Amino acid sequence: MEIEIVGQDEYGSAAYSKLFDEIMSDLNKAVLIDRARLTLQPEGPLFIFSIVLKAAPGPKTIGDVSTVRNDVGGAHVTITEERYAPDILQELFKKYGRQAVTQQTRFDLDVKDAKEDEVSAIVVSSGEEDRREIMGALWRTMPEGIKNRKTFMSGGVITVVATEEILLPEMIEAGKAEHVAMGGSADV
Amino acid sequence: MFEVLMYDGGVYRSDELYEIIDDVGGVVLQKNRSSQMLTVVMSVPEEDRAAVEAVCRDIGGEVREVPLAGTEIAVVGPTLGRHHMPHPICDIAEILRRSGAVTVVMGMARGRGKKTSQISMTERCIIDEYDGAIFMMGNFKSCVETKAELMRDIHVPTLLVSGPVPEGIDDTCDAIVTGVGRKAARMRSSEERAKLDEIVEAMERILEDKKRSLDEDPLFVHPAEVKTILEGYEPINMCLRPAPMVVHLDGLRIKIPYTEHREYLENVQVYGRKLGDIAVIQPSKIDDSSIVVRIKTRSQVEDEDRRRASE
Repeated sequence: MEIEIVGQDEYGSAAYSKLFDEIMSDLNKAVLIDRARLTLQPEGPLFIFSIVLKAAPGPKTIGDVSTVRNDVGGAHVTITEERYAPDILQELFKKYGRQAVTQQTRFDLDVKDAKEDEVSAIVVSSGEEDRREIMGALWRTMPEGIKNRKTFMSGGVITVVATEEILLPEMIEAGKAEHVAMGGSADV
Repeated sequence: MFEVLMYDGGVYRSDELYEIIDDVGGVVLQKNRSSQMLTVVMSVPEEDRAAVEAVCRDIGGEVREVPLAGTEIAVVGPTLGRHHMPHPICDIAEILRRSGAVTVVMGMARGRGKKTSQISMTERCIIDEYDGAIFMMGNFKSCVETKAELMRDIHVPTLLVSGPVPEGIDDTCDAIVTGVGRKAARMRSSEERAKLDEIVEAMERILEDKKRSLDEDPLFVHPAEVKTILEGYEPINMCLRPAPMVVHLDGLRIKIPYTEHREYLENVQVYGRKLGDIAVIQPSKIDDSSIVVRIKTRSQVEDEDRRRASE
């Protein structure tokens, strides 16, 4: 993750670069971010945090987060990404019914009368949740008093403009300009 | 001359330690037991220090000097949110405890933000109950300089800890330690540990002034002596709160309800005088469940006696 800081406060700029890196790493989001530009103007105060994701979060299917194969009498699913396990179970229960899904171990499921390709195609996450988590992480890195925020999102670029009291039109414009500069679309 | 020491070890044979403290005329200032571990902060005569140390070693514990023993210090952050609170504030509180102080961590109700941060009169009064306060601020110079106003009108010694070096705020606090701002990890490196030691030294220095003024006009009775007298009072003895009595430089905090115990405390005899005559006994500003006792100085008591005699 490449971090660029735009700001006059010498100590604050260096500290925020480290802080941003540490918080994103703690929350396992650093691997998703390609580059970040943090504009810090504590005098205002105005903070613009803009990040470019390595890949725009898209919908995830059971095939993306587990290994599915045809088995005797149905399909066998081996979950490879644990965080999606509850969603996988929920979707399988919804489609095939509880009686048809047998959980052999925590990560191994047998689905009666199901086919590999149709199980693999079931969507378990729309990508919205990933975006929300990244945004949550981004808000966590910002100073606590900076409560008035506006978020721009397009493709893989997320920009948050934040201030303490009134979010003025020029602040929003500055945020939009930053969003475009990072590769986001202008019609956000 | 008394010296303050901390025993850190197990509970096994700890009665031998209490015995020798009693024998040499010392006082237990603070006792903290956690499972089989025990820490005892004690005040013992200088000439008997070696004997006490020998007993401590004999029962398998360590003895350390604790410069902040007998003080209660508030570590104040703008809020108790995860942005301000977890790492530096806890690390500071911990290092103060290791130096013998009893610490409380406090966040302000509306302390966040540069332009919007505030401190209420109640919060000021609560901070004034402690011997000293450490204000922990953040990483931006202009924010720290603006928020320094929060420390104005606090009457106890205050130490500001912040990341950058602020300018023009010397009149708002007694000392400043820089280089510690908002952090996302514990302060583990040797530089960071050195910073924590610097904070303890700065706190020690600013409390020294308060101690010096108490030396010039001494208290009528030492708070530790009042603590010893009150230790036998059953509600304090049975109190399950950690450290039911905390010694301050000029008094003590007793963690029992004010309304129920005020009368007993006012009438308890201390060297032939009622405690109510030689100390100001008030409910804590936090709530009614604690009592703050401020012992009057000798000159204050004499002055009041003279006034009473002339009436």
